[in-house]
Amino acid sequence: MWRLNKVRHKAGGHANTLEELRLRRREKERALRQARRDRQLVSKRLLLNEDEEQDLMEITPGEQDVVSLFHALQHSGTDKEAYLRTLSKALRNPSAQLTFIKLENSMHLLVGLLTGSDARCRLQAVRCLHELSHSPHTSMASACLPATPYLLTYLSGQSTKFTELCLYTLGNICPDNEVVKERLLAQGIIPALASCIQNQTHNLAVVEAAGFTLFQLLQTKDAVQKVIPMVLASSLPSQLLSVLTPDPEFGLAPAIECAWCLHSLTSSTVDHRELLAQGALTQCSSLLVSLGGAVVEGNTDQGVELLVCPLLRCVGNLLSSCPVEALSSQLGDVHLVAALCELVFAFLHSFPALARETAWVLNNLTAHSTELCSALLTFNLAPRLMELLPFSQGINTMILRVLANVAHKKKEFCIRLAELGLLSALAATLKMANQDMVTLSLEVLFMMIVSSPQIAEQFVRQGGLSVLEAIQYNNEGEVRRRATHLLEQHILT
Amino acid sequence: MMLQPDLVQFMTVGGGQAHNSNREEGFSEATEQQEEMRRQTEEGNPFTFSPQLLRLHRDHELFEDGDVLRHMYLQDLFISEAEEQPAPSVSEFACHISGCSVVFSTLDEYEHHYNSLHRHVCCSCRRSLPSAHLLDIHLQEWHDSLFIILAQKQDMYLCLVEGCGQKFRTSQERKDHLIRVHKYPPDFRFDKNRKEKGTRDTRREHRTDTAMEAADDVSRSEGVCEVMCSVQSNQLEQEESMEAHASSEEAARIEDISASAQTSETSTEALKLKYSYRVPKTVCFGQGSVRGFRGQRGRRK
Repeated sequence: MWRLNKVRHKAGGHANTLEELRLRRREKERALRQARRDRQLVSKRLLLNEDEEQDLMEITPGEQDVVSLFHALQHSGTDKEAYLRTLSKALRNPSAQLTFIKLENSMHLLVGLLTGSDARCRLQAVRCLHELSHSPHTSMASACLPATPYLLTYLSGQSTKFTELCLYTLGNICPDNEVVKERLLAQGIIPALASCIQNQTHNLAVVEAAGFTLFQLLQTKDAVQKVIPMVLASSLPSQLLSVLTPDPEFGLAPAIECAWCLHSLTSSTVDHRELLAQGALTQCSSLLVSLGGAVVEGNTDQGVELLVCPLLRCVGNLLSSCPVEALSSQLGDVHLVAALCELVFAFLHSFPALARETAWVLNNLTAHSTELCSALLTFNLAPRLMELLPFSQGINTMILRVLANVAHKKKEFCIRLAELGLLSALAATLKMANQDMVTLSLEVLFMMIVSSPQIAEQFVRQGGLSVLEAIQYNNEGEVRRRATHLLEQHILT
Repeated sequence: MMLQPDLVQFMTVGGGQAHNSNREEGFSEATEQQEEMRRQTEEGNPFTFSPQLLRLHRDHELFEDGDVLRHMYLQDLFISEAEEQPAPSVSEFACHISGCSVVFSTLDEYEHHYNSLHRHVCCSCRRSLPSAHLLDIHLQEWHDSLFIILAQKQDMYLCLVEGCGQKFRTSQERKDHLIRVHKYPPDFRFDKNRKEKGTRDTRREHRTDTAMEAADDVSRSEGVCEVMCSVQSNQLEQEESMEAHASSEEAARIEDISASAQTSETSTEALKLKYSYRVPKTVCFGQGSVRGFRGQRGRRK
């Protein structure tokens, strides 16, 4: 299970100052960004022993120890467990890992111990495999292949720690290598994960681990063709949905994993009918409402953003497939629009990227639904949204789009928006450097003006003419045309 | 950061067309309102907005930050404290006038800039005056041929101070009045005469040729307002607005250069004129068409 508040040192870590830690984090972040741009974003997880969780300052044994440990294991009778324990610690070291797998029959030995009659040895053996799976060397994945059928078999077992280790080991190796992934699929990893979650819903540590493994599987190359159809055909989607609500005692971690799996599913596919039928939109949106309320109150566990983010994405993409007639039944509650609005503000300063994603969901929510646009006005959210218009990096363009969605529905909505001060807001956004903001502002202005002559008059009274006249000199032809059209056809006539 | 096109695109649901009215290629429309848009464009209506459902693929750029967050968590590097998060950025404002590429962080700055440099602009010679009152006087005294005739018989030179209202027979008398009564400096910048061309001429000749050409191209006849683009001409314009130089030199040379302006324009165009488009005569820049057609008196035919 993962603890979110502790920032832990990796294996072989030395005492870091806060500054060094920050630096390391920033470097890591940069590396992750680049990896994502290269479509190579994959992470592994290392499950530590309970006794290790505090401090990893112990000196890891060198390569020589691995060799001697291996020989010892081959020949000893009764001390295997102790040797295995030491071996697992030794295998924390990447070069030791390489040394080990190059030894003849090393994997054969481990598998033997993994499947042997000594339960404690099984545990240590799987721990060794886990260390290998976490290796930065991609050759490890193939080396672990002999163990995979057993790891999968053990997923139906009842021993928590053991099952966790099996799962994380599988999760670590599957994105490394196409051959490994194919083998795991053939060996039935998907049904194994499905029954694992099903049988262990009470055991949230295992659920979390299974969620992680499924997530890793969904990140593999060609997951869309090879993995996702099988996942959607299994019982996994409904199980993922059933785990979404976080357990207050255990924490967010299992829900986080399952939510990210759902995001991988919804964002990789176009056809969401199956997921919609299983109530994915309903579940995710009601969870967002309750989480959103908690976030705004400041009443959440640390790391709630890690759960809110994939939920937002699921809702956003599911909305894009949900016919508008079905929207009210799927959503159940129009309060989502209010929850989302407050979330944008809550994230604005802490996680602006999430504020942007929330605004995107608001767009999808309001695009074709008159009911939700009406709710937006009823809950008096329009002035709140207008407060967001100064913020760049995609936030204001998306928010303006939401307001445009509302204006587009009905004349009455335009009039209401004008009463609420949208014209003044537009007078500012029309002067922004961002051309998309200017274009969109003109579009909204157009809709407002054609809906009522009073609005045109109000606009002129507020000094809007000079803005439009200035815009007639804008660089972009499209912008100039709109301004001219507005002036000539609708204001000055 | 505007949402950029993404490499991985979805197939558009329910139709093969790929036209995206809002130029956001990274999104795919899940519903279409093409009929309406086409109708609008046919009618000459340039407005094309229609609400769109935006589906984002997993690899979309919008998801980058959240994905990084996710993986920082997987690798035990996540911190919930926002200490390292950058503050949300605020949109800048920019002067719309093509060629005037100034950017502002507040609306007030924008307004001040616009009002100072672009609002009270003479349509004929493109000089920027600081107020409507001075613009009126400028138009009358510099571009109204009737003015000269009337001034021979009656007091036409209006005091520059708003509210004073006194008129004088000559500009010198007005200037004396300004100095004596209103305590203006003798070299008040907005009180230059059309006839004062001597010093300006020689001074101007010492400037670089390109600057000269830019200035020449500034003045256009026929009531056509053209906007020029170049940093130099921008600076020049600002200087001009401070020191209203004799327009007579331009007025006199307009006919000379209007022919040559074409050629000089094309040569400078390559250098500096990036945007040059004509505004219809019904709209005169800087004066607001609702206020009528100021500055068109005395326009050359």
